[in-house]
Amino acid sequence: MQAAQGGDTEAYVLLLKEITPRVRQIVRGQRRFLKIEDIEDLVQDILLSLHAVRATYDPRRPFMPWLMAITRHRLADAARRYTRRAAHELQVENIPVTFSDEGSNIDSDGYRDPEALRQAIEDLSPAQRAAIEMLKLREMSLKEAAAARGTSIGALKVSVHRAMATLRKALIKDS
Amino acid sequence: MTMDTEKLIERLAEIVEPVRPLARPWIRTAAWLLIAIPYVALVVFVVSPRADLISKASEWRYVIEQFAALATGITAATAAFATVIPGYDRKFLFFPVLPLAIWLGSLGDGCVEDWIHFGPDGLSLQPDWFCFPAIVLVGAVPAIAIAVMLRRGAPLTPHVTSALGGLAAAGLGNFGLRLFHSQDASLMVLVWQVGAVCVLAAMAALAGRYLLNWRSIITTKDRSVLLHPS
Repeated sequence: MQAAQGGDTEAYVLLLKEITPRVRQIVRGQRRFLKIEDIEDLVQDILLSLHAVRATYDPRRPFMPWLMAITRHRLADAARRYTRRAAHELQVENIPVTFSDEGSNIDSDGYRDPEALRQAIEDLSPAQRAAIEMLKLREMSLKEAAAARGTSIGALKVSVHRAMATLRKALIKDS
Repeated sequence: MTMDTEKLIERLAEIVEPVRPLARPWIRTAAWLLIAIPYVALVVFVVSPRADLISKASEWRYVIEQFAALATGITAATAAFATVIPGYDRKFLFFPVLPLAIWLGSLGDGCVEDWIHFGPDGLSLQPDWFCFPAIVLVGAVPAIAIAVMLRRGAPLTPHVTSALGGLAAAGLGNFGLRLFHSQDASLMVLVWQVGAVCVLAAMAALAGRYLLNWRSIITTKDRSVLLHPS
């Protein structure tokens, strides 16, 4: 470690490779319930922490108590992190695909009076009818519809907005 | 983190740079005092020392209390510096206990004496709102200095380390305060000055997690080895 503090790359690799199995063994011993990849995450976290605070190692003091203190505290930090995260998580077997109320679970949401809708569309002005047909029925893009009608995108948007308002009014009146 | 640990080791070795080992806690305490004491002296000089300072220096109770406040600050700083060294002996945590006990004991004894001499009048308590901001003012630079120095260590026990750092700065702040603030009634000192020191140490403890954490210690460069495996 003393050589690593001096910037000796080889000594550092040697040291980290030597301590990693020991650290892994400790993590595995204390966190038996974890998956292999989670254990490896913890080992890497400890190695990163060791790297970050390598200046705190005093070469006149033994190395192992220094390493063990970092390992112990990082394991405790990870346990706290896990507990915090678990407190905000809800474990469910099956996630519902829809809401539970009746209105959101009807089999079909199709329009119930197609004839009234067709009549209401026919009653629209020619510009509004064309806008509805191209954008809503044929599902053309604004750009395509504007090119086909020889008008601007802005004018089309206004037409479709007004057409929708007229249709809504006509259908509510009918029902 | 999904990177292979072997690869991580190689990447860490690639970015490793020479570092100077941190000095021992008492040496770092001496370095801290080199910043803190001149600042405290400057504040006392600017605010102007109390008129009776020379005569107070011959009163054993005043000398003991000042010595204990200063010793509490120094020992708390040494303990704080020890807590950021992994594997350091935990007995360092008890360093400030003795001077703190002497400080509190002397003030408690003063309260008893005041009671004996003046009866209930000797223990009257008036508001003294000057103490808290004054201790903050005198302890500000020592607090900043110790925070910067502690962040160079390992944040193993952030709350404890921070509380000790706060106690060190506030203890020194109280030492400075009594050099220019003429308030010597033991109960007043105990409540308003020692109380302020305790409140400041508690506030520091609460801020510990924000001040000292691994997220800020592990630099972006260190973290980048996980994101950009070679």
